[in-house]
Amino acid sequence: MSSQASTASQGSDSLASRHSFLLRGLLLIIVVGVVMSLGNVNIGAVGQGLGYALAGVCVFITFRILGFVDLTVDGAFPIGGAVCAILIVNGSSPEVALLVAFIFGALTGLATALVDILFKIEGLLASIIVITGAYTVTLRIMGGRSNIPLLGQETLISRHSRPFRAWLVEQFGDGLKRQSTNLLEIILFGGVVIVVLVILYWFMRSEFGLAVRATGKNAQMVRATGINHYVMIALGLMVANGLAGLSGSLVVQQFGFADVSLGFGLIVRGLAAVIIGEVLLRPKSTGQRLIAAVAGMLVFDISRAWIFSALDLPTTDIQLVSALVVLAALGTPRLYERYKAFRQRFANTR
Amino acid sequence: MLELDNVSVTFNAGTNNEVRALKEVSLSVEEGDFVTVIGSNGAGKSTLFGVIAGAATAASGQIHLDGHNMTHWPEYKRSQVIGRVFQDPRLGTCPGLTIRENLSLAAIHGRRLGLRRDVKQDQEQWFRDELARQQLGLEERLDTDVALLSGGQRQSITLIMATLVKPKLLLLDEHTAALDPNAAEQIITLTRDLADRHEMSTVMITHSMQQACDLGSRVIMMHQGEIVFDISGRERYQLTPSDLIDRFHSLGDAELSDAQILGQTGSFSQKDLTALASASSRNR
Repeated sequence: MSSQASTASQGSDSLASRHSFLLRGLLLIIVVGVVMSLGNVNIGAVGQGLGYALAGVCVFITFRILGFVDLTVDGAFPIGGAVCAILIVNGSSPEVALLVAFIFGALTGLATALVDILFKIEGLLASIIVITGAYTVTLRIMGGRSNIPLLGQETLISRHSRPFRAWLVEQFGDGLKRQSTNLLEIILFGGVVIVVLVILYWFMRSEFGLAVRATGKNAQMVRATGINHYVMIALGLMVANGLAGLSGSLVVQQFGFADVSLGFGLIVRGLAAVIIGEVLLRPKSTGQRLIAAVAGMLVFDISRAWIFSALDLPTTDIQLVSALVVLAALGTPRLYERYKAFRQRFANTR
Repeated sequence: MLELDNVSVTFNAGTNNEVRALKEVSLSVEEGDFVTVIGSNGAGKSTLFGVIAGAATAASGQIHLDGHNMTHWPEYKRSQVIGRVFQDPRLGTCPGLTIRENLSLAAIHGRRLGLRRDVKQDQEQWFRDELARQQLGLEERLDTDVALLSGGQRQSITLIMATLVKPKLLLLDEHTAALDPNAAEQIITLTRDLADRHEMSTVMITHSMQQACDLGSRVIMMHQGEIVFDISGRERYQLTPSDLIDRFHSLGDAELSDAQILGQTGSFSQKDLTALASASSRNR
């Protein structure tokens, strides 16, 4: 009898958690929408957030699922961007460029995994070694140049921008004409991110994914189950950094150029996305957590754009503003905990 | 079945801190044997397990299991045929994953991983039956995060996971030592049930003389990296905890055997035993 009751309560628990996640998501969308319209934030921030979203997912996989302190994203991202730019300049299609960028990102992840596994160098140091070397690799891929412009080349966006603008003007008149590129980015990148999340979710819920998730929590147990946990670490890092490479190629197509310093500080941004997503949406299941990482990156970009427009700052201030947004994201939950503890103490002394 | 042939293990070889944890140990475990291993701290019990499971490397000697020479197999490969339960309940299961996911992972045991779904509908009844046998009510909580379970519950799930796909050999490393007496009792009952049902070769380390005499068909006592007694057959059935304590005394290691005497009343954790041993040496 009692066991039956506990099952029932657990069933409704998981249902309630799903509902509360949806509710939080809706609330977040409304709040963000209000802030954007009142604060006069350009919707370009959403497109940019979607471009970087998969780098956030990369950081989520390495830090949260693998429990591996991995900075490789800083190297995999510009490598993906460089590969994409060089392919597009040489006339390959943007879709192929995305795929090859994923593969190169994955190889960067594999390099970190090998440094970690073969030389027993801790993840943090291993990834610093790899991103140091990756800088040169990026330059080599770009043929020794530090910047490759994509002006006049066919990218994912430029290919559709003319017909999309025509369609937009035809449907909604001239009002949305100026936003057509931004809207197109949101639709295209949103599509890519959704497809990637679906594939990733399917992977995480496969036997391989289960072993990867277990490795991050308890490698000893994975070994004791007869699975080579090193392979799982390498697999996880490859998938994660492949996504960083993919994200890099999206951003390069968005910006219209590839640059060797594109990955600078990306790890901080990715961490911020993961934490913002967790604080705001409190995800429980693997699928929810993946969505939260994407949402976190969107909130990061939108709030940064909002600060820029509200304070009317020059674009050169971007790194400081980024750092402060990250600080706010990391610090707020802790400050809140301290505030609660303080109130508790205050109540006790009275 | 399991054959250890003159296996030695040395830690920190070539330095001042060189420790010869196992000294040319030979051991043969037959199909279906249940062997209990006792001995004081530092006797080499855990090293013996480590070298069988692949966590420690043998400096010399050979290890065969079922005719395969597995002296140079890596740990994960040996785990495909060896089930293990650790002293620390946190080591055997994976927190953050549900009971169902943990069991699903154990069900893959020894097979190649694939892109099939991680939890399979047709395995649910199998998991429920295995859990129901323990009468802990866990069969109704398949979707509970393992991190929310008590040490005893986690240890019983580890036992199921280690035997879900029948291993050739089951290694139990003081798997009740970190539990309260009640939970320890339950785990011992479960262990006996599993060993009887699957008739698999089992080697169990224990600190409790009572357990050593209650369970299994053969007792091995280790001392300073060597097997000093190997009691089986008729002699084993007449064995009582006090016999074992006498034998301990005959080793001339009075200080540690004091702690072992206390060990017979129930199960003590390693920490308790060390504390007791040092307390008794202070009193003297």
